[in-house]
Amino acid sequence: MIEKEFIGRESESVVLKIRLEEVRRFAEAIGISFDGDAVPVTYVGTLLQANIPGFELTNPGMIHGEQKITHYRPLSVGDSLSYKRSIKDIYERTSKLGKMVFVVIETTGYDLAGELVFSSSSTLITPVKGDADEESV
Amino acid sequence: MKSLSNYQVSDHLPSREWVPTHVQIRQYAEASGDFNPIHLDDNYARQVGLGGMIAHGMLTMAQMAAMLSEWIGKEGRISKLDVRFEQIVRPEDKITFGGSISARSGNIIMCDIKAFNDKEERVLAGLAHILQQ
Repeated sequence: MIEKEFIGRESESVVLKIRLEEVRRFAEAIGISFDGDAVPVTYVGTLLQANIPGFELTNPGMIHGEQKITHYRPLSVGDSLSYKRSIKDIYERTSKLGKMVFVVIETTGYDLAGELVFSSSSTLITPVKGDADEESV
Repeated sequence: MKSLSNYQVSDHLPSREWVPTHVQIRQYAEASGDFNPIHLDDNYARQVGLGGMIAHGMLTMAQMAAMLSEWIGKEGRISKLDVRFEQIVRPEDKITFGGSISARSGNIIMCDIKAFNDKEERVLAGLAHILQQ
């Protein structure tokens, strides 16, 4: 179960270098040309290694609702980044498909001088198991 | 080809078509590290109520970005891309990406962007900022 108390929890920072082979493989999978330098804007969506302690995000049936990416400066192959992930919000909504839990996770990336390079916010939506479960408690 | 500087508010952007395949979704899983079985295992995706395998939202978003990148070429870069995934995209769907200019401010071009499937359902909508260089 995803609890509201997770709001504000964040990962440790992960330091990495943007590697040519990984960006090339990403560009090939998307089917775009790649000049060996400029990193495609959605590449930062693959930076998922920073685990948020105690928080498991692989719920069955979870889908991706929204994604917002801002690049404050261009990102190039060979750049070093420090990034972390944090839980910005958790809330419930009821739609025609039933009760859903929304989790907003933000990834922020900095260069090694501490300047903000990008922020990327994902809203993930998970159906809440039927009311029958609650009644049986 | 028309230069970015010549685009005015309400002008349409060049569109782009895309048909996701099982092979491409598998490649994207490997390149992105997102191996959620809803993208790779049809039975699993049915069991969790999705009616079958779906493409990664991030793969659809990457195609939206590709449309913008092809349009802007070396004249600028995407500084902001915000999207909502409104309908599921499945292998073999025919997706058309498009958009228009909503505003210009200094060296930033703001665009409304969207994508439709071949049933005329909107699968993605949002906004992009292009920083002219």
